[in-house]
Parts: sequence; C-alpha cells; structure tokens
Amino acid sequence: MSAFQQGMAPVRAMGDVDSDVEEEALVADYKEQVQYGEDDMAELDQQALAQAADDLQARLVQAAQPLDFQATLEAKFQSYDNYCSLFHYILNSEGPVELEPPSYYWAWDVIDEFIYQFNTFSTYRARIARQGNNEEEAQFLRDAPNTWGCYSVLNVLYSLIQKSQIIEQLGAMKRNEDPALVAGPYGTKNLYRMLGYFSIIGLLRVHCLLGDFSLALKTLDDIELNKKAMFARVMAAHFTTYYYVGFSYMMMRRYADALRMFSHILIYVSRTKNFQKNAQYDSIAKKNDQMLALIAICVAFHPTRLDDTIHTALREKFGDELLKLQRGGPESLPVYEELFKKACPKFISPVPPNFDVPESNIDPMDHHLSIFMEEVKTNMFSPIIRSYLRLYTTMDLKKLAGFLDVQPDELRAMLLVNKQRTKQVRWTEGGLLEGEWVNTSDLDYALQGDLIHISEAKMGRKLVDWYLRNLSRTYA
Amino acid sequence: MASTLSMNGEDPVERPDQIRAIIGGLERYNPQAAEVLEAYLAQQCEQKFCDCNANRALLKLYQLNPDRIKDEVVTNVLVKTMTQFPSPQFDLALHLLSPANAKPGPPGKPTSDLAEAVGKLRALNAHLESANYAQFWATLDNDTDDIYADLTTDIQGFEEIIRVRIAQLVSQSFREISVSVLESWLGLNSEEEVVNFVTETCGWKVEGGVVQIPKNAENEAKKTEIREDVNVDMFSRVIKRSWEETA
Repeated sequence: MSAFQQGMAPVRAMGDVDSDVEEEALVADYKEQVQYGEDDMAELDQQALAQAADDLQARLVQAAQPLDFQATLEAKFQSYDNYCSLFHYILNSEGPVELEPPSYYWAWDVIDEFIYQFNTFSTYRARIARQGNNEEEAQFLRDAPNTWGCYSVLNVLYSLIQKSQIIEQLGAMKRNEDPALVAGPYGTKNLYRMLGYFSIIGLLRVHCLLGDFSLALKTLDDIELNKKAMFARVMAAHFTTYYYVGFSYMMMRRYADALRMFSHILIYVSRTKNFQKNAQYDSIAKKNDQMLALIAICVAFHPTRLDDTIHTALREKFGDELLKLQRGGPESLPVYEELFKKACPKFISPVPPNFDVPESNIDPMDHHLSIFMEEVKTNMFSPIIRSYLRLYTTMDLKKLAGFLDVQPDELRAMLLVNKQRTKQVRWTEGGLLEGEWVNTSDLDYALQGDLIHISEAKMGRKLVDWYLRNLSRTYA
Repeated sequence: MASTLSMNGEDPVERPDQIRAIIGGLERYNPQAAEVLEAYLAQQCEQKFCDCNANRALLKLYQLNPDRIKDEVVTNVLVKTMTQFPSPQFDLALHLLSPANAKPGPPGKPTSDLAEAVGKLRALNAHLESANYAQFWATLDNDTDDIYADLTTDIQGFEEIIRVRIAQLVSQSFREISVSVLESWLGLNSEEEVVNFVTETCGWKVEGGVVQIPKNAENEAKKTEIREDVNVDMFSRVIKRSWEETA
C-alpha cells in the first residue's frame, strides 16, 4: 500500500503538551466503561513488554475516538497518519499481531470513525476549493493529494476483509460449517475477524458516498440481514447498515425494498429507545428523522400501507410534506428536493478538487440530487392519474385528458409512465441485489385504443394478525 | 414478444469469464483493467447486447482515475444504458460521472465537450423515461449539428433497438392502438412502414388502421382479489403455548 509509510511512530497533535495525561485519563475512562478486567491486562503484559503493550492498547483506543469537530487541518493530517501506521502495523506485521480488541464495539468504532474522518475531510477539502479564499490551506491540500485518498481508504477496507478471510468465514457460517476452519491464521483472531467484518459495512458506506449504489448493495452479498448478524449486536452498526442499504435501494428505484429496510430499523429503534444512552440517542434521533424523510419519498413513489408506529411518527414529523408529495404535480418538486437534501448521505468526490478553478467544483450532492429529481419529474403526475383512475372501471382517454387539462398524447405518456413504474424488482431471497419483477400496485389498467380499462385489486380482510394480537392480549 | 425478448442488461449471459473475474474481484480497481473493459464495451456495441454492470466498473475506474477518461467511451456507455429504458440504468451510470462532466454549465460559460454531450444524452433519455416517444424521435431528427448522429454512431442498430423496445412496452399496456399513434411513437415515416414493422417484427395484426396486440399478462388488467395466505406456522407460537400449558 503506497500510502503507508514504513515504521512511522504515532506523533501527537502539535502543541498538545498535556495530551499524555489526557490520553491516560481517556484510556482509564474507556477501560472502566468496557469493564476491562485486570486479568486481561496481566495477560497482555506477559505477551509483550509492558510499555509497548500499553502504547499499542492506547493506540487502539485512540483510533476509535472521534476527532474534535473543529480540529485543525494539521490534526486531520495527523489523524490520517495515525490510522495509516496503525493499519500498517495490523496488516503488515510478520504474522497476526497478538492484540485483543478493547471491546466488542471497538472494531465498529474504528471503522466508523475512519470513514467519518475520510468523509468530513473530503467535504472540507472540496469546500476550501469551491470557496477559493483560503490560499494557505488550499496550498497545503494541493501538496498532499493522497492524504485521505480514496484509493488508500478502499485499500485499507479491502485489505482488512482479505486478511481476515471474513468472506470465507461468513460463507461457512451460511452453510452451517465451522468458520474457524477457513479463517486462516489471521481470521481466527478476534481483532482481525471483527475489523474485517465491519470493513464490509464500511465499504457499503463508502460506495454509497461515492454514488455507486449497486456496488454498495453487492458488497453485502455475504452478510445476511437478520437479528443474528454480527452487526446487530452493535446498535450503531445495525442502524448505519440499514440506512445505507435503504438509501441505495431507493436510488435504484426499488422503493418496496427501501421501505422494508427503513421500516425494519425504525421499528427496532422505537423498541429499544429506552435502553439507549443519551449521547448515542442524539445521533440516532437525527438519523431517525432522516429515514422518516426517506420513507416519505419512497411511499410517495410507491403507495403502500405502513406499520402503524411508523405511520404515526411520519405524520408527526413530516405530515405536511407527505401530503404534498402524495398530491404530486410541480408543487411537490421543492418538497422532494428539501427532503432529499435533509436525508441523503454527505456525498463526496473520490478525487481532489480543482483548486485553480473554484467554480468548476460542483457539490456532489447537487449532482446526485439533479439525477434523482429527473426521475421525480418523470413521475410527478402519477398520483393525480391514479386518483382519477380509481373512480372508474372504464374511461375514455380524451375525456380524462379534458378533466386533467392536458393533450391526449401527454396523457398517454403519463399512463405509460405510471404503469411502467408499478413494476419493480423486489427482493425475495439471496443477495440484496437479487429480486423478482413484481407488480406493486393494486391498480392496473390497459388501453384499447382510447378506451382505458381499469381494474383495482380488492384487498381481502387480513385476519391472522388480528387473531394473534387478540389471542395474546386475552391469554397473556 | 415480451417473453421472448430477454432484457437482462445488468448481468447478461454473454459476459465472458475474464470480465466476470474483473468486476467480481479487486481487479476492478486496477487502472489497466480499463482497456479490457473498453474493448468489451466495443463488443457490446457491435453485438447488440448490454452489460451495464461491467460498464459501471469502467466508469468507476474513470471516476478514480480521471486522467484515463475517454469521452467517447463515456457517451457510448450512456447510450447503451439508454436502450434499457425504463430502468435506473442510465441514472446509475450518471451517478458515477464527475459532477463537472454530468451536465453543461449555465449558458455563456465554457464547459467541456463531454459535459455538453452528456447534457444532450440526458435530454434524450428523459424523453424515453417519460414515455414521450414522439419527442424522442423528433429530437433525434432535429439534429442540425449531427451531434446525436455522432454520439450514437458506434452503437449498432441503435434506432432499431429503441423501436423494438417501445413496441414491447406498448404491448404491455395496449390491447389495440391506432396506426397513426404508433407511427409517431416508433419514429416511422408512413403508415405502411408501421404495418410492415408490426407484422414482421412483432407478429401483430392490423385491421382498419388499428393494430391488434395479442393478450398477455400485462395488457389484460384482470380483476384480482388479494387474499391472505394463512398457514399453520403463523399460529405455531399460540399452539405451542396452549399445548405446553395443558400438558
């Protein structure tokens, strides 16, 4: 890996004299949090020199700590170097390193923080280039195009996945075989197995941030999304996974699948709300709202019945917006834009910006939004069409065109668009990208010349759920 | 016709093992793989099939290595994905372009040739996605600078592929359609050409200026009732509990 400097010792942030003391406190604090047993420490001391082990453990803990929001550019560069040397040590030492991850959450926290810093760094660099008024920092960034480079970040994630043979292990687990048999010398170690596992989820996220939504979903081929999955034990990982999977589905126009993802996780969150600590809950609450906004978008594209809990939350949070989306027409466009901007990931460009021509650097979010809005515009009359068609069993096309005040040819196009979009790929089993083409609407129609034949699927009463709920209520 | 015309532009059966190995592994990040994928795209253009998945791997390499971008390859990928309408394929490809290449800037500002070309293709694709087929052909015909002719020249049988696809989509929504409407939608120049096309290519019948489209699952609009599937498993917990309590 080109970006990895050999034998780099971790250097502390400049001008931070007290950092040793602070770091000690931090480590102590963290140890207490995760109830680090004295026994484990004693064991570690035997494995290596006490000082070296302490230092390494401190580095492991440090790598999972969030960088200060207002960190200077130097600190961001420094942090990158620290990650490089840590990952270099983990990946390129002779044989697997004998370290235990400080906690179950540690591997997730490291990968999460690593990608978060990559994300914010790229955004920051693009902003400096776009604003073009900070020549000093621009020069600094121009001179180091590979710092937080996309290839290095991808390289780290892929290397961790390969070293840990996590893909092979997950495959074995899927076949109900012992994963240890295929784990290799690295993958049997907790440190590697967990870093490898969460790197897969990290890749999902990076691909999504770069706008490669199908590759994002492809990345999760070997992870089964269910409660037994390893990520489910780490709330933040669970949450992040479903957000990015749902978002990728939405961008692939698989609204039914997107809704399934968002609904699953939001229901789960609402059930576990009471056990979450405050700080964690704040960030979850924010993502929660984002997912509700995405649900509003998806349900406007693909009208369907939502779970009661979600429906209530959605009406509370985005009631007016949802109504406008469901009404359709040009008035709905700004609402789509607003919700998308609020809820999309912080997209980044994989290559350094052009510092010499500030105006040439378009915000990647605007780019992805403009593509998405194209599809919104294509569909904006569908709600109106549907609401009219529901009223009739047969209808003359010219008459309906008169009601809607459009030309017959325009109406034909709208009818085709609406009908074509009711067919969607929907997941049934296998990898996330798999699925079958299904008709997702209860409203169907066909044209015989200018005569529209309309049929609406009738919903039979759903009784099983009613019985089960009442049975458990009565006999509980 | 709908059933015989396979539409798997995402993972086609024609994909050779070499390409499968590239896009399925880390080789997809090797800048040298671009040449292989470019040659494969040329093959798709000639042999009238489409591998959107492999083409996205190529765009991804361009995304990561902008110095390798070949304008005509990017536009060829976009034109190929366009033939998959209606689908997210064109959009998925666009998402991988750099924002500066994805649309022309405001009037008066100089932008790259690629950005101009992509802007043109987006306009063309929008007609297909929004089922404004007549406008699609009008835009193609009204090509004073031969821009569209240049952009589509590498794609063998581009117009024919689009025409067949439109006919296929029509068959999924219509039982009967007038020859004159089809004439504008298929971009043909006379009723005679329409009659020839629908009888020879689609195997449909024409009676008195109306094209008769055979029944298929899509154009029937049958009335259905969605019933709940009830099986024993749904009650397994209740049954288990009552069994345990009585036992």
